[in-house]
Amino acid sequence: MQREKRSAILLLALAFILSVILAACSSGNNNAAGTASAQPSESSAPSASSQPSDSNAVDTSEEVKLKMILLGGKPVDYDLVFGELNKLLKEKINATVEVEFLDWADWNQKYPLKFAANEQFDLVYTANWAYYNDQSLKGGFLELTEDMLQKYAPKTWAAMPAVSWDQAKVNGKLYMVPNNNVEVTNKVVLYREDLRQKYNLPEINSLESYANYLKTVAQNEKGITAYGAKAADGWKWHELDQATLEHNNDFKVIDTRVPLAIKLDDATGKVFNIYDTPEFKELLAYYKDLADNGVWSKNVVNNKNDVWQDMKAGKVSSYAQNLGTVAANLAEARRDTPDQQFAIADIAPNSKKLAAISTQNGMAIHATSANPERALMLIDLLQNDKEIHDLTMYGIAGSHYNPEGDDKYTAGPNAVNYPAGISNWGWNSELNRQDASYPQEANDIFDGWQSKIYHYPLETYVFDDSNVKSEVANIGNVIIRYGIPLEYGLIKDTDKGVADLIEQLKAAGIDKVQQEMQSQIDAFLANQ
Amino acid sequence: MKRYGFWHDALKYRTLLLMLLPGVLFFMLFAYIPMAGVVLAFKQYTYDGGIFGSPWNGLDNFRFFFDSGSAWQVTRNTALYNIAFIIVNNVLEIAMAIFLFEIAGRWFRRVFQTLLFLPYFISWVVVGAIAYNLFSFDYGTINAVLKGLGMEPVDIYNTAAYWPVLLVVVSAWKAVGYGSIMYLAAITGIDTEMYEAAEIDGANIWQRITRITIPNLYPTIIILVLLAIGNIFRGDFGMFYNMVGNNGLLFASTDVIDTFVFRSLISSNDIGMSSAAGFYQSVLGFITILLANYAVRSYDKDRALF
Repeated sequence: MQREKRSAILLLALAFILSVILAACSSGNNNAAGTASAQPSESSAPSASSQPSDSNAVDTSEEVKLKMILLGGKPVDYDLVFGELNKLLKEKINATVEVEFLDWADWNQKYPLKFAANEQFDLVYTANWAYYNDQSLKGGFLELTEDMLQKYAPKTWAAMPAVSWDQAKVNGKLYMVPNNNVEVTNKVVLYREDLRQKYNLPEINSLESYANYLKTVAQNEKGITAYGAKAADGWKWHELDQATLEHNNDFKVIDTRVPLAIKLDDATGKVFNIYDTPEFKELLAYYKDLADNGVWSKNVVNNKNDVWQDMKAGKVSSYAQNLGTVAANLAEARRDTPDQQFAIADIAPNSKKLAAISTQNGMAIHATSANPERALMLIDLLQNDKEIHDLTMYGIAGSHYNPEGDDKYTAGPNAVNYPAGISNWGWNSELNRQDASYPQEANDIFDGWQSKIYHYPLETYVFDDSNVKSEVANIGNVIIRYGIPLEYGLIKDTDKGVADLIEQLKAAGIDKVQQEMQSQIDAFLANQ
Repeated sequence: MKRYGFWHDALKYRTLLLMLLPGVLFFMLFAYIPMAGVVLAFKQYTYDGGIFGSPWNGLDNFRFFFDSGSAWQVTRNTALYNIAFIIVNNVLEIAMAIFLFEIAGRWFRRVFQTLLFLPYFISWVVVGAIAYNLFSFDYGTINAVLKGLGMEPVDIYNTAAYWPVLLVVVSAWKAVGYGSIMYLAAITGIDTEMYEAAEIDGANIWQRITRITIPNLYPTIIILVLLAIGNIFRGDFGMFYNMVGNNGLLFASTDVIDTFVFRSLISSNDIGMSSAAGFYQSVLGFITILLANYAVRSYDKDRALF
């Protein structure tokens, strides 16, 4: 017995040793592969820059395949459109591109994993709301130098205003080619104009008139939820807050993961806790009133439905989003559901309007891309080559869209098959066409805003959380647990709810984060 | 006993060893080799450094979890839920297995077993959606029925007190069918001569169950429970996340380590910090299984796992 047991152990040990050896071999291979893939990118950069410096033409004699990551569902006609694109690219830069799509449902989980696992890809969509800062600081993107841009993206270099490049810098270094497009980030509400007229309600242009509309709908329209919120996806700072709390009081939350804000016109950039303001308490009373009147579902925090789809189906009567999105909704509704009339309202009309900084959308190059030059050339073409820009933004002319002049288009017969909400916004530029059916009122609102666009000194400041990561993580948790239910009026005693929220935030380390942010802001302002 | 060499034994048991091989390889590949990754819990993960090249940062990664003020609460919730699941599910599984074994009528047994087994294949995402449609305050089936009967609707999603019961019930609904099959297999393996002898001695069905079936199930019960205890500090993420979601009102009684860590780190994606939480769970699980095994050992040496 004893003997048998011993040999069994020996066998096990042997198996173990064997597998360790195997593992060592495979990890050895991994290392080799790792260095092999790292080498060309290191060596190619200098050779590429030294070679073309003799002759100005870029050497594209070797055909390369590029991989690009975009957000959104794969369009039905992807093969058609990108097949066409690859023909053009082959001709122009001797390259082809293949796109991997990260679906909207779980992109924010998959996106960082692509970097952490160091997957092979060359280009990736990024934005200030899509990990731009985070990945730049972590070293996920290739730094783009002025030389590289001038050499490989000359058209973009010429077309982009200098301020857009500056806005995209993280700690003085550039990691993305931002889009070239003026956008305002203020939130508006989309509502049912037919319902407003049915009940003879006054025009919606303030918090009060909006509340009036919502409460009337909640009371009289059984089966329609007056306000649609998608709380279940864990966003801590929702769109209505932006309109009601930020825009109305001219506050600006610096980083949506922590409830710290500044006053827009405060030149000293003093940071304060937005939950610890009288304005927030007023807002809570406003929300509580809405909640008690049944404006939103009691189970709003568990609602996972797509709010816009619910609105189209006639189940929800209003929601808040940015102007571009609701304008697109409006155009879509006019095409698909003519029996419901929607309209757009600005419920904080006197607020200062904030322009999106250039990092609202952009394209970056993966730090370990084997072909950064060709990737950069591709970005140049996507953004500033009329033919390629049209193709990738709107699909195939005559099928997905019909060009109207140089700067407008109408939906073609196959419009639904492309682009269907993918993040080709990354190469928005002056070549963008406008949907001829784009609602005139959205244009009017936008034109009205242009004169109110307000630039403030901290516009391009981004919070670097590396010293307070634990605190930021815990604060996020506190907001979900104590803040969100409070805002949706689910906690009976609001005053106690606020006290609890603030106490928990303090325990989670908000003071330390505030100090850190303040010192960063002070340094940022001192440098200007 | 004659002494044989190692290679002799290896040759002699080659079939058995060959059968062992896939299992050994599986655990090597997916459990032992990745174990080296625990170093991440003590590192500031960077892309250029990778797993082994990143700089050390001591216990910094653990700070987030223990400074959160929720560490004790979520650890307690995780353990209590798992204990409840282990007890309730095992009792129901054994009862169900005995019932299925004793019941006459092959046809009925088949149908019943299949129906019981079905929920096991439904993904938690779907279960979460079904639950929302059942429990929702405004449109849920349960409240529609209550209102139809002229009773006050219940606000399930805003009342934390319902959830411990609800989750235990849902877990049992989903797991019992699968678990009862293992017990049924163990019962089928019991020597039928014992039952025959008992019948001749005039034992009734209740005596047969308590005196023969259950004692013979002890080894299976102990192994299954011990294995489950090893995972007592791992919350079933799929279940808790899809049932509760980001509903802060319910966290006091539903938040487990896994959902807490997921929520905290989903926006910062710090691999070191999540590894630290995983490491904490593993250490606690390791200690509990050692203690549980020790307890079984002191009760009956042969029935312990190791």
